[in-house]
Amino acid sequence: SGGMGPDMEPLLRAWSCFRRRKFRQCAELCSQLLEAAPGEQILVFLYFILIQAAWSLKTRALTEMVYVDEIDMDQEGIAEMMLDENAIAQVARPGTSLKVPGTSQDAGPSPAVRPVTQSGRPITGFVRPSTQSGRPSTMEQAIKTPRTALTARPVTSASGRSVRIGTASMITNPDGPFINLSRLNLGNYAEKPKLAKALFEYIFHHENEIKIALDLAALATEHAQFKDWWWKVQIGKCCYRLGLYREAEKQFKSALKQQDMVDTILYLAKVYMRLDQPVTALNLFKQGLERFPGEVTLLCGIARIYEEMNNISSATEYYKEVLKQDNTHVEAIACIGSNRFYSDQPEIALRFYRRLLQMGVYNCQLFNNLGLCCFYAQQYDMTLTSFERALFLAANEEETADVWYNLGHVAVGIGDLNLAYQCFKLTLVNNNDHAEAYNNLAVLEMQKGHIEQARALLQTASYLAPHMYEPHFNFAILSEKVGDLQRSYTAAQKSAEAFPGHVDTQQLIKRLKERFAML
Amino acid sequence: MSLFKARDWWSTTLGEKEEFDQGCLCVADVDNSGQGKITINKIIVGSYMGYLRIFHPHPVKPGDDMQAEDLLLEVQLQEPILQVEVGKFVSGTEGLHLAVLHCRKLCVYAVSGTQGNVEHGNQYQIKLMYEHNLQRTACNMTYGPFGGVKGRDLICIQSMDGMLMLFEQESYAFGRFLPGFLLPGPLTYSSRTDSFITVSSCRQVESYKYQVLVFATDAEARQETVQKKLSSGKRLAVDWVLNIGEQALDICIVSFNQAVSSVFVLGERNLFCLKDNGQLRFMKKLDYSPSCFLPYCSVKEGTINTLVGNHSNVLNIYQDVTLKWAAQLPHVPVSVKVANIQNLKGVIVTLSENGHLQCSYLGTDPSFFQAPRIESKEVNYEEFNAEMKELQKIIREAMKTQDILPQSEKRRDLIVTAEVSPDLDAESKAIDSEVKAEVVPSVTVKVTVQSRVTAQKPNLSVCVQAPLAVTCDQFIFNDLEPDSSETVVLSVFLKGNFPPSELEGNCVVSCSAPTDDSLCSFILGIPKVAQCKFKLPLRLICFPAQPSKSANHKITIDTNKPPISFLTIFPDFADPSEDDQANVLGFQFLTGSKITLLASKTSQRYRIQSDQLEDLWLITKELTLRLEEHFKKQNCKDFAYTFSGSIPLQEYFELIDRHFELRLNAEKFRELLSERAVQFRAIERRLLTRFKDKTPAPLQHLDTLLEGTFREVIALADAAEENQANMFQAFTKLKSATHLVIMLISLWQKLNADQIAIMEAAFLPLAEDTQELGWEETVDSAISSLLRTCLSKSSKEQALTLGGQLSMPKDTSRLKKNISLFCDRLAKGGRLSLSTESATQQVAAVPGGCSTIPESDLEERVVVPGSTATFTNHKHAAKQKSKP
Repeated sequence: SGGMGPDMEPLLRAWSCFRRRKFRQCAELCSQLLEAAPGEQILVFLYFILIQAAWSLKTRALTEMVYVDEIDMDQEGIAEMMLDENAIAQVARPGTSLKVPGTSQDAGPSPAVRPVTQSGRPITGFVRPSTQSGRPSTMEQAIKTPRTALTARPVTSASGRSVRIGTASMITNPDGPFINLSRLNLGNYAEKPKLAKALFEYIFHHENEIKIALDLAALATEHAQFKDWWWKVQIGKCCYRLGLYREAEKQFKSALKQQDMVDTILYLAKVYMRLDQPVTALNLFKQGLERFPGEVTLLCGIARIYEEMNNISSATEYYKEVLKQDNTHVEAIACIGSNRFYSDQPEIALRFYRRLLQMGVYNCQLFNNLGLCCFYAQQYDMTLTSFERALFLAANEEETADVWYNLGHVAVGIGDLNLAYQCFKLTLVNNNDHAEAYNNLAVLEMQKGHIEQARALLQTASYLAPHMYEPHFNFAILSEKVGDLQRSYTAAQKSAEAFPGHVDTQQLIKRLKERFAML
Repeated sequence: MSLFKARDWWSTTLGEKEEFDQGCLCVADVDNSGQGKITINKIIVGSYMGYLRIFHPHPVKPGDDMQAEDLLLEVQLQEPILQVEVGKFVSGTEGLHLAVLHCRKLCVYAVSGTQGNVEHGNQYQIKLMYEHNLQRTACNMTYGPFGGVKGRDLICIQSMDGMLMLFEQESYAFGRFLPGFLLPGPLTYSSRTDSFITVSSCRQVESYKYQVLVFATDAEARQETVQKKLSSGKRLAVDWVLNIGEQALDICIVSFNQAVSSVFVLGERNLFCLKDNGQLRFMKKLDYSPSCFLPYCSVKEGTINTLVGNHSNVLNIYQDVTLKWAAQLPHVPVSVKVANIQNLKGVIVTLSENGHLQCSYLGTDPSFFQAPRIESKEVNYEEFNAEMKELQKIIREAMKTQDILPQSEKRRDLIVTAEVSPDLDAESKAIDSEVKAEVVPSVTVKVTVQSRVTAQKPNLSVCVQAPLAVTCDQFIFNDLEPDSSETVVLSVFLKGNFPPSELEGNCVVSCSAPTDDSLCSFILGIPKVAQCKFKLPLRLICFPAQPSKSANHKITIDTNKPPISFLTIFPDFADPSEDDQANVLGFQFLTGSKITLLASKTSQRYRIQSDQLEDLWLITKELTLRLEEHFKKQNCKDFAYTFSGSIPLQEYFELIDRHFELRLNAEKFRELLSERAVQFRAIERRLLTRFKDKTPAPLQHLDTLLEGTFREVIALADAAEENQANMFQAFTKLKSATHLVIMLISLWQKLNADQIAIMEAAFLPLAEDTQELGWEETVDSAISSLLRTCLSKSSKEQALTLGGQLSMPKDTSRLKKNISLFCDRLAKGGRLSLSTESATQQVAAVPGGCSTIPESDLEERVVVPGSTATFTNHKHAAKQKSKP
């Protein structure tokens, strides 16, 4: 702040800092103002206004420091999923639910071609908070699914990310919370809309006290005679956080009636997704597009839903639409790229990834994907260099593990099994929860004739990733080979459960059944 | 993220450690040098430090740095400069003048230049035309032809506490307070509607008509009323309001020829476009934090192009909501303008908060991001090869010794040994024994667990068959170090009041050896199991007694050696002082029954006799064991013993019947119990309805009935329990007898060890004897299977007729028949064998048998090449990181 003129007023300076997003500086200046005695201020009335302004500005600055767009905040915890009292049709018609993987009418990609996530959805090209959606059907399954470092689903979302955010008051204000919420007279504030809105955001985003925020919003909307759509959206947000989805839906709908807003549409769609009504959400988005033609967030929302419903072709259509509106949209480029890759067009995928690289995306994942594309597009010269860079850029051991895993694939592809073996080993060194690596290592061991090792590795793999069909299938084959038909049958069943359309599994089961019949 | 960067045309950095904000940049022909139509813009920059600078860039070639003559003017004013604007601020002239807003002062200057002989000889100076001292701290200002005046611009200043101060050029006009004010928002004037537009702290866009402002209560007057009764003064009527739900950074009024005139509002998270009447035309959600914006022209009919700068150093250009271009900037712009400089139209001028001023244009220069080079050394292939070989060797060595899973090892890492002390415990350690003898002896067993590798939490369990029992049967040790051992001591004694069928015990120790590799730490290690058997002394369950001459059951064992004195082989039972004990010895079990052992003086025979068949077993077994041991000590290898009498099948069958009868009883008890339970529940239900009834009715002795039924249930359960105990006892006896019968048969037919094993497997199933799956049906099916396969007479019998599920038979006649048949077949030379060869040979020998199922066809398909094992897919997986 050296450049400031000596006689610049603190509130003006704070205001300017806020506009330039220098929130810490802004909050400090406001604190100084709030601590200063009225002193030379002649008029108590003016001083009162000044204090209010400084207080409100500080509230806003503290909120902005930790602000995360509520639309992006979405991770369903196990507790929310299983203790969800909102009755949802248990047997949904095909194509109307996200709960049952593979309910899309036209066949999605097969797991043999494109890996799936735990919930049976094809993996997407872009990590976003809700990519894990799709709920396990029983508590058992939810708890059984291993929570490794990468696939962790918090036990409840209330205790996961939000708590971290809840401690924001400690981060931004080392001396303790700025506002003592328990002493707040909410009714007083609710009558002053100029203060109440900032205060609400502070309580909601910074303090993460949803119930108090809801109280404030309820009082305020009443004071505004239910004419302020903003308060309705805020009530809806609170209800959503508290799991009152139907209530939230009502509020968002009412808000939309008053004023069309992109955010409100997104929130409402989020509610529908949580209620497992993707088709309603799609319709909502499409209506929204009529009001706000070409809105990228709406188009992207549609694409995400189609992707989650395994309708890859429609998803790609909409991602393309997104790119027509905003050709720097990283998510759309990445998703189209990975769709191309898994539909056997590595050359085209390569172009998308190259585009990302040119745009300045510079991370391990991108080079990893570039390396794979190069390999499958037979541009061998670039393959190893890309992986080399990926390794160089890997930010953590999980990323390193993924790169080594893919290198292992390349090694298998060129027939250097020794190298492959070592690559998979290195994968495990970096991430010992890597189920795929265990599986592939097991296959290599099987080929070497080390039955015991292979079996142990396969068991580990299937324990770590019960959703993958490969370890089960391999285990079935191995057991069949050594004559353990019972185990072979059990494993084959599991494989069929994970991937019902797998022909080899079906053949194996048929063969085993014939055998059993003969005995 | 953008593909291209803004092409640098001219740039400079202003001052040192100076601060700039939104209002500090202005682009205009401030010195009125433009002749006619050509406007040549100058760049005017004011800083919070109070420096005012005017630039006129004319680089020789694009990308040049600032030259001295580009800076037309630099003056330091006394106060921080909040905003600079250029307009027709001086009365009597339509020339452009410069208005500079300080915190407490508004100054209007005239800027003029004197042409020198050469370019760097040009001189520029400013002249103060007038100034206004302000009563309140200013924040920002706007100007325009308020009220529709022609040819001049009026200025409106917003103060930090919400007052709009209006100046008609050299004179102060009036001041008005904005209602509901908290913090100032952006302010602008719309000449079309003649109104001021701002975004208030209530997060709504508000428009105030100039006319309304003129006629509203004067601010000064109002302030006094406010002091009396806070905020109840006459409200300034607002023209229109639009709730946008967020604070705004800037507002721009746009009117281009081709496009609808609109109001653009840059919010913190959205870009809004409103109609003149305050209705929303369109909005665009921004996925970044914007810093400044400027709607600059309309290229396509009906659309408006907007520049939006953001905090990720990118300048986005939108046509309405469609992104047309994105360009990297070297800084975060706090203000952006478009200027015509020299002959160049549409130069983008951006200013950063620390004073980096840049003039740029759009172009396809790739963005300056370039992946840094990875350090790569000159590759020396020979060295690399050598190193690779060395490393490979190390890896190979390492894999031999410490892989994730160690190779299966030949040597045993975990050993358990049990040592039974030769003497009975001096003081019996028996607890809770049901035996009615005076003393129940016990014997000490010492179990040692040894481990060559680290054993995690070894778990030792010792088990003996009931009625024998141990003082403690579970031990859990702490982790064992490599090459260490643990020893525990326990005692075995007879618990139930009947002799056991075996004098053996079993120790099992299990633990997990940690994997050598720390990466697999989450696998709990490799489970390891070791076990050992131990033999218990006969003295534990019986003691010497008077021999008795007569007995119901006798068996005679022939040997090929002269009889040995019992004094030699039963030193623990025979009393050497009594000579006749050399060939007659009496035993008595703790439970009472007596057995006499006789050795023939003349022939090479031994006779065992007792009142109960099953009691013979343990003594016979002991005798044969001791004899074998004795001859082994004497290095006599051709010792053999046989049995030539008839197998005591009849007596054996009696035992089977006894056991079966008890099973039938148990079945009966079960049925009765379930009947009574149904009855009990029925009465309960009746009672419950009575009690729940709102109008109480008499119980009609239902309670007595309930009580009675309850007693019956308990009595039945007691009886069933007793029956179960009896059944267990009967089963133990049956097992003893079975052991004896197997032994006799094998001696009689001189069966080898393999054949004995088959017989044991058939007669002594490992499965426990339960009501659902009892001994009778298990043995029956095993024997019928043997009869049908290796002992079959004709191939007809071989036809597999699987009997389906095993269930309790109605009686034991079939079993008895089968056992008799089994003995019969053995006597006729049948050989016990499980190998299919002999079976198929037999099949081949018997022509006309039904053909076996051809296996070749099946086998072809069974062999699955290992290559069908699937690799998991490429984890193409990962993806871009989500938004920061």
